[in-house]
Amino acid sequence: MDAETILADVTRMLAEVIGDDYLEEVGVTMDTAFSGDLELESIEFVALAGLMKAHYGGDVDFVGFLADMDLHQIIALRVGQVVDHIQVCLMAVGSRG
Amino acid sequence: MAEVVANGVRFHVQQLTPPVGEARETVVFIHGLVMDNLSSFYYTLANPCAAAGADVMLYDLRGHGLSERPPIGYTLEDSVDDLVGLLFELGIDGPVHLVGNSYGGTVGLAFAVAYPERVASLVLIEGHFAVQGWGEEMARTLWGIAFGMELEEAQAWVAAAGRKMTRMAKKADALINHTSLVEDMLTAVPLAREPLASLACPVLAIYGDESDVIDRARDLATLVPDFTLNILTGCGHSILMEVPAHLQAVLAWWLGGRQGPAPVYVPPTAGGTGATGPHPLAELVA
Repeated sequence: MDAETILADVTRMLAEVIGDDYLEEVGVTMDTAFSGDLELESIEFVALAGLMKAHYGGDVDFVGFLADMDLHQIIALRVGQVVDHIQVCLMAVGSRG
Repeated sequence: MAEVVANGVRFHVQQLTPPVGEARETVVFIHGLVMDNLSSFYYTLANPCAAAGADVMLYDLRGHGLSERPPIGYTLEDSVDDLVGLLFELGIDGPVHLVGNSYGGTVGLAFAVAYPERVASLVLIEGHFAVQGWGEEMARTLWGIAFGMELEEAQAWVAAAGRKMTRMAKKADALINHTSLVEDMLTAVPLAREPLASLACPVLAIYGDESDVIDRARDLATLVPDFTLNILTGCGHSILMEVPAHLQAVLAWWLGGRQGPAPVYVPPTAGGTGATGPHPLAELVA
């Protein structure tokens, strides 16, 4: 799956968590920071991670992804880092299949 | 979003499972009051705990985070009933390890007293302990949060803050000023000492030595039979945010069967980094 498609999926899930209006105003790119640009509350990022987990299932390891980061790294995450992680996991699944 | 209805209230719940293999333990995290929600555990202990091989359940207390905010139902007994209801709805019927931060520790303690057979162990992180006068103290703190700022000052602060702070301030205001939370705290009944003295499950208590609730831990140490106290030099009440790496290490030691001595916190000023080893929960994976 290409990064553009994954970014569109992640953006749709972001809209589900914080609303379309705010997202349209700010815009989402690979370089958008969850906290700095979107002012995503910490609890909203949890909800987003939950939606991504439900959408991609066991193919994408969010537990391992987040377990390897400290609090400051998670807060500073950019959309592109999450998209890249999803893409790498999906490619690994594809190569196994 | 993961929503579970229990006791007629819609709760925001997150469940994490080990990336590989079957979980051996279930760990339930309970957060603190008002400005807290499940994210404080999600970003610190929950993911490493699941990565190390445990099933993890986190939830937002009623009125907090993304859970529903009903106007009433904020007594300690309500909090215990909510946890019972959630465990039932999620089909978690075996003994669980409860990890509570601040008020979450109080909930864990009250749950362990009421349902000892359902608790494998209890971890109190700066847990409040419902002694005589506890409710008044909590209520006073909440009033302080609500009315500590002059109205104009508060309005200016909210106007200057971004989306995030504005939303957080509005939620805290709604919870403190438009629910029975403060009133319910005022009716809090102290936990009886006898059941604590016969508490069967092991209890781990982690407190900062500069915390305003450290005396609660010392009280508990004289009461609870299997009680381990881990004191962090130079730390206050917010240890979950200040030294998550140490808490990960202690939790790994605890869930891993308490093999060897408990990790000791070395404050940065004493030559330590505040951490106690590289990703210590990894030990649980094997």
